[in-house]
Amino acid sequence: MIRKFGLSTRQLKPYLFMLPALALAYLFSYRPFFKTIANSFSLVNFSGRIIEFVGFENYRNLFADHNFQISFLNTFRFALFFVPINLVFCLVAALLVYRKRRFTAFNETLFILPMAVAMSSAALVFRALFNPTIGVVNYLLGLSIQWFNDPVWAMFTIIVLGVWMAIGLDFLLLLGALRSVPSQLLEAAEMEGAGAVAKFFRIQLPLISPTILFIVSTRLRDSMLLSGPVLVMTEGGPLRSTQTLVYQMYIEGFSGGNYSKGSAISVVVFLLTFLMILLAFRFERRRVFYQ
Amino acid sequence: MMQARKIGNINKMLFATLLGLIVVFPIYYAFAASFFSIGEFASYPPKLFPSSFSPVHYVRAVTGSPLVRFMVNSLIASGIGTIIRMVVAVLAAFAVAFFEFRGRRLLFFLVLGTMMLPADALIIENFLAVSRMGLVDTYLGIISVYLLGPVQLFMLRQSFKTIPKTYREIASMDGCSDLNFLLKVVLPLSRSIVLTLSLHSFVTIWNTYLWPLLVTNNPNMRTVQVGITMLRYADSLDFGPVFAAITIIILPSVVLFLVLRKRIVAGITSGVIVG
Repeated sequence: MIRKFGLSTRQLKPYLFMLPALALAYLFSYRPFFKTIANSFSLVNFSGRIIEFVGFENYRNLFADHNFQISFLNTFRFALFFVPINLVFCLVAALLVYRKRRFTAFNETLFILPMAVAMSSAALVFRALFNPTIGVVNYLLGLSIQWFNDPVWAMFTIIVLGVWMAIGLDFLLLLGALRSVPSQLLEAAEMEGAGAVAKFFRIQLPLISPTILFIVSTRLRDSMLLSGPVLVMTEGGPLRSTQTLVYQMYIEGFSGGNYSKGSAISVVVFLLTFLMILLAFRFERRRVFYQ
Repeated sequence: MMQARKIGNINKMLFATLLGLIVVFPIYYAFAASFFSIGEFASYPPKLFPSSFSPVHYVRAVTGSPLVRFMVNSLIASGIGTIIRMVVAVLAAFAVAFFEFRGRRLLFFLVLGTMMLPADALIIENFLAVSRMGLVDTYLGIISVYLLGPVQLFMLRQSFKTIPKTYREIASMDGCSDLNFLLKVVLPLSRSIVLTLSLHSFVTIWNTYLWPLLVTNNPNMRTVQVGITMLRYADSLDFGPVFAAITIIILPSVVLFLVLRKRIVAGITSGVIVG
């Protein structure tokens, strides 16, 4: 009897070790995930309890809501600029320093330093830099753009901040990828008379494509979740030109107390993040080159 | 030919340095601006260099605002959060790496699967749950959603798997219990990865914004990232203390970053997926 009990505690042990992780996964990920889906199909009261099932009504209202359409378009507008600008900038920087020469370590450090700065500090600094009247950006570039008062340009400041915060990590990832391209390949190409452009497109780009794919897919996903810089820098304005999906969800949920609508936006965001990851994998099968 | 190439290389290097200087400019500007006087902020053309290094804004930031309180809050939240997160991840990784049991793969992937559910999209339900538990304006509330680190679990499992199975057999023959084996053998062997992951976790929690913004209403409970955006001074052009506060916050991490640069670079570039 005792022996049997002893055996079963031994078998139970690994489950006990995993219990805290599983409990947390349930409590703060799976439970809220399914509850959010349920909320999005229901009428929810102020304390977050479901009153009645309403089917797709929340979604119908949501897609008819002009405000939501703006958030949706803005989120994609951000992604459309942020992802390629970030990628090209990091690629150029990585291509400039991947060969170890003098000063390489110094230049490397400059590019990765933004990683040491948290979003809210960075957003406050950028808000000052882009200040239309006394900001450094307008002065140094000889511009007089009303950055935060102009619906066309306000999103641009968010994009610049987004790229700045992403540079450190993405530059490093690309640097690592470029450095692991076999140097014999590049030397052989040089012997055949290949120029820098040919070397890049024929050898380096195909070989680092998995890293590029990883960067593009994670940054697309991040774009769908954009909210912090909007909260700190522009508060969605001017004229809702920088209002994104998660920002609107935050406002609907916490300023408006409209949990049904907030949950429906959440579900849309979930679907979009899944979609971005799926898209990356589809693209991968056709284009990405693995050795 | 060689000459032309050398010049090309120097141009490349100079261009890289120029780009790099543009990238670090905002960090420099925060530092420089923390020494500007109110008049200098409003002046046109905008100033790029401080005319004096008077610490007046630093004194005002530290004494005239709850900045220190914010930093202590962040320190406590990130510290406790990191410890719990690592304990949870180490226990789970230990089970997955060293035990054979039914449903091992399923449970492992169930925990890893939380990576697919971005925390920022779950805030409404998580906030309702946390406020129902009465955890608004508490440290536990601030760290609650960060206690599980799927990345930590995954990396720890990878590291634990490199420890030979025979170690465990020998240990159990010597009468060493599982927990003792974890504490005396597994953890010391994985010291480096545990340290790296703890540091990463600490920085992640320290930097979060949206969730702590939600679960703290009491100004005394705000974390530094939230609190700093709420520092308001009577004069709207009185940016000095804000920049001093920003400098105080980012200086330690910039210094830490410069000191650990080689480790961070090696850590990230080695994990790259190529070929």
